Amino acid sequence: MYFLLVKRIKSDFIDIKSSEYPLLLKEIKDPPEKIYYRGNWNSELFRETLSVVGSRRMTGYGEVITERLVSEIAGSGITIVSGFMYGIDAVSHAASLKAGGGTVAVMPCGIDRIHPENQSDLYSKIIKNRGLIISEYEGEMQPARWTFPRRNRIIAALSPALLVIEAGIKSGALITANYSLKYNRKIFAVPGPLTSSVSLGTANLIKQGAYIVTGAEDILNLYGKFSLQSSSKKKTDSNNSYITKLLSNEALSVDEIARKSSKSVSEAGADITKLLIRGRIIQKGGLYYPAEGDI
Amino acid sequence: MLIKVISVSFSGLTTIRIDVEVNIADRGLPCFDIIGLPNKAVAESKERVRTSLINSDISFPMRKITVNLAPGDVPKEGAFYDLPIAVGILSETENFKIPKESLFFGELSLDGSLRHTKGALLAALFAKENKMKRIFVPDESGNEASVVNGIEVFPVKTLRQLISFFKSETAIFPAQFRRENIKENKNSFEFDMNEIMGQEQAKRALEIAAAGGHNILMTGSPGSGKTMLARALPGIMPLLNDEESLEVTKIYSSSGNIPPGGSLIKSRPFRAPHHIISQAGLVGGGTHPQPGEISLAHRGVLFLDEFNEFPRPVIEALRQPVEDGKLTISRSLERVTYPSRFILVAAANPCPCGYLHDSTKECTCSKKDISRYRKKLSGPILDRIDLHVEVPVVDIKKLEKGLRATEQGESSEEIRKRITEARICQERRFAGECIHTNSEMKNRLIKKYTSLENESKTLLLHASKSFNLSARSYLKIIKISRTIADLEKCENIKTKHIAEALQYRPGIAE
Repeated sequence: MYFLLVKRIKSDFIDIKSSEYPLLLKEIKDPPEKIYYRGNWNSELFRETLSVVGSRRMTGYGEVITERLVSEIAGSGITIVSGFMYGIDAVSHAASLKAGGGTVAVMPCGIDRIHPENQSDLYSKIIKNRGLIISEYEGEMQPARWTFPRRNRIIAALSPALLVIEAGIKSGALITANYSLKYNRKIFAVPGPLTSSVSLGTANLIKQGAYIVTGAEDILNLYGKFSLQSSSKKKTDSNNSYITKLLSNEALSVDEIARKSSKSVSEAGADITKLLIRGRIIQKGGLYYPAEGDI
Repeated sequence: MLIKVISVSFSGLTTIRIDVEVNIADRGLPCFDIIGLPNKAVAESKERVRTSLINSDISFPMRKITVNLAPGDVPKEGAFYDLPIAVGILSETENFKIPKESLFFGELSLDGSLRHTKGALLAALFAKENKMKRIFVPDESGNEASVVNGIEVFPVKTLRQLISFFKSETAIFPAQFRRENIKENKNSFEFDMNEIMGQEQAKRALEIAAAGGHNILMTGSPGSGKTMLARALPGIMPLLNDEESLEVTKIYSSSGNIPPGGSLIKSRPFRAPHHIISQAGLVGGGTHPQPGEISLAHRGVLFLDEFNEFPRPVIEALRQPVEDGKLTISRSLERVTYPSRFILVAAANPCPCGYLHDSTKECTCSKKDISRYRKKLSGPILDRIDLHVEVPVVDIKKLEKGLRATEQGESSEEIRKRITEARICQERRFAGECIHTNSEMKNRLIKKYTSLENESKTLLLHASKSFNLSARSYLKIIKISRTIADLEKCENIKTKHIAEALQYRPGIAE
C-alpha cells in the first residue's frame, strides 16, 4: 500500500571493484558490495558532495533554512546527498534541483521501490534532472526498521561533510551524525530556537563540537568556494519595505505584521501578497520569512 | 345537517385549501369518523375533540358524526384540524352560524383550551391570498399570524370563549402586529467582534464573506477561536429586511421552530449542527419533507465545525443547495422546495491532532496522516468556498502587549455599516440580473461587472503563476476583490484589492 513499485528498467549496479565506485564510500569498514542505481550513473556527481539530513517533522523555519542553504550550495556545483524521506530530506533534494545542482537520494529499500510513495513526483524529477537514486538493496525489498540506519551510514560516508538542519533528541539525523563522526567527516549544525523539539538535537551537536552554520559560505569555504550571493544581497537591502524590516527580526503572521506596523490587516495583507509575488518574502506554515538575509 | 369549515393543508411551504365537512346525521348509530386520508395525528383528533368538548361542559352529541377532509385524495397530517372539526360540531349543537370567509386553525388541549400550533403564519398567509376576511388561531400563535396584515386574526384561548364570541356574548380582539412584540432585537447577538482578541485577518475575512455572501473555510488549531468568530458573523450581517424576515419566519413556522407567543424573526439565523447529523437532517427530508438545517439557516449562517468529520455523503449533499440557494426534495407523495440561501462557514483543524503550524504545541501527525485528512476536504465542495483563511492560536501575552499599542478592534455595529453599504452597492449593480451578491456571479457576469485595471490584471497573472492558481481559483479571486472594492466603494478593482483577495486564496493554510 505504502510502497510503489518502480517499473523494472534494467538492474543497473556498480560493483565495489569498479573504478566508478565512489572513493569516499570505499573508505569505510563495511561498504556495500554493490550499489544499485536509477538514473544515469555519473561518477562526477560524487566528486564534491555534501550530505544533508534533518527531521521529518520539519518546521517552517527548517524549511526556509534548508531552501536557502541548499540552493546556494547546490548552485555552486556541490552535489547534495540525502535520504529521500519527507521533511528536510525532500526539501533539500527539491532545492538542489531547483538551483540546477546535482543530487543523490539514498533509499532505505530495494531499488525498485519508491519510498515514500507519495513522492514519486520528486523521484522522477531527480532522475530527469541528471540526479541519482541509489540503494544497496536490490529488487523490491521493503524498508525495515534496520534498513534506515544502514542507509544513514551510506549518506554519512558519501560526503566529506554532513549538514544537520533540524533534528530531534532521538532521531535518524543524529544516527547519521554519529556515523559521520566515526568516519571523520565534518559536521555542520544549524542553530534553532530551543523551544522547538527539533532544535534540541542540533543544539546537542553544537555542544559536542559541531560547526555552527550561519550562512552557506561557512560550508562553501570547506570546498574552497565562495558565496556568490553576498554581493547581490546588499543591493536589495536598500529598498526594504516595513514588512521585510519587521521580518528580519523574526518570522511573523499577517495579524502580527499588521499589529506591529499599526496598519489595517487589509492593507498589510495586500502589501504582503505583493512582496510574496516578487519573491521578497516567503510563507511557511502560517508565518512569513524574508527571502534573503544573513542566512 | 352538513356544515362546512375552511382550513388548510401544508406541503412544505405551499398551502392548499381543505374543506372540513362535518355531517351530524339524525339517523344511524352514534359514532364519530374522520375520512379523507388522515394520518395518525389527524385521526386522533377525534378523541381530543370529544374530550375537550366534554371538559368544557358542552354535551357531545350522541349522533352519527362524519368528518370529511376534502379533497379526499390529499394526505392530511398535523393536529390543527381539531379546531375546525370542533367548530363544525359546535355550530350544530350550540346553534350558532359560522361566519363566512373565515379560516380555522389550531390544536385542542383536552381541557378545552387551544395550544400553540406550528404553521399559523402560513395559514394566515393562505387566508389573505384567498381573500378571506378572518382567521381563528390559538392565542399563543396570535402574534405569529398577526404578521400578515389585511385580515383579522382572532386569537382564541378556549372553546368556551369562542362559543360566547359567536353568540355575541363576549368579544375577542383581533391580534395586532406590533414591532415591540418581536423579542429578538439587534443587540442580542452572541458575540461582538470587538470581544474577540486579535485574529484581525480572520475578522476581515468574515467581513468580506458577509459583504459579498461568500462561503468561507477557517483552518486553525483547537482553541484558536474559530467557533467564536463564526458566531460573531450574524452580528455583522445587515439586518433582515421585511421580505427576508418573512421568508425565514415561514420556514421556521412550517417546521414548528417559532416559540409560543413568538412573532416575525428579525435576526439572522445561525445554525451550527453537530457533525453526526444525517443527510436528511442537513438538507431536509422525510416522507412529508421537513426543512433541514440548510433551510433553517436561510438568509443566515450555516456553521459546520469540524468540517472534516462530517460524513462524505452529507457534505456532498450540500453541493446543489449551496449553488442554487434552494433544494427540492422529491418523494413519491410530494415534491417540496425549501429555500436555502446561506453563508457556509466551515471550520477545520489543519491536521488530525490539530496542532500543525501551532506555535505553542507540537504536531504529532505524520505527513501521511495529514494528506489523508486533507483529502477528505478536497473536491467539489471546496470549489464552492471562496475564502480560505488560517486562524492561528493567539498568544495571550504577545497579544496584550500588541493591543496596548493599537486600539481595540471595531465593533460589530461599525463593521455592519460598511457591509450594509457594500450590499446596497451590489444590489444596484445586479438590479437587472437575478442575483444579489458578488458570490453568486457566474463567468458571464464576472466578465460583465468586474473591470480590472491593467495593472491589476498583470498582478493577477503574476500571482496565478507564482501561487499556481487554477482557473477556478482565478475567478474566485476576482469575485473576492470585487467585494473588497465594494467595501471601499471603489468602482474599479485596483491592485490593492487583488493583492488583498490573494490573501484568501485556496491552500493558503497549508
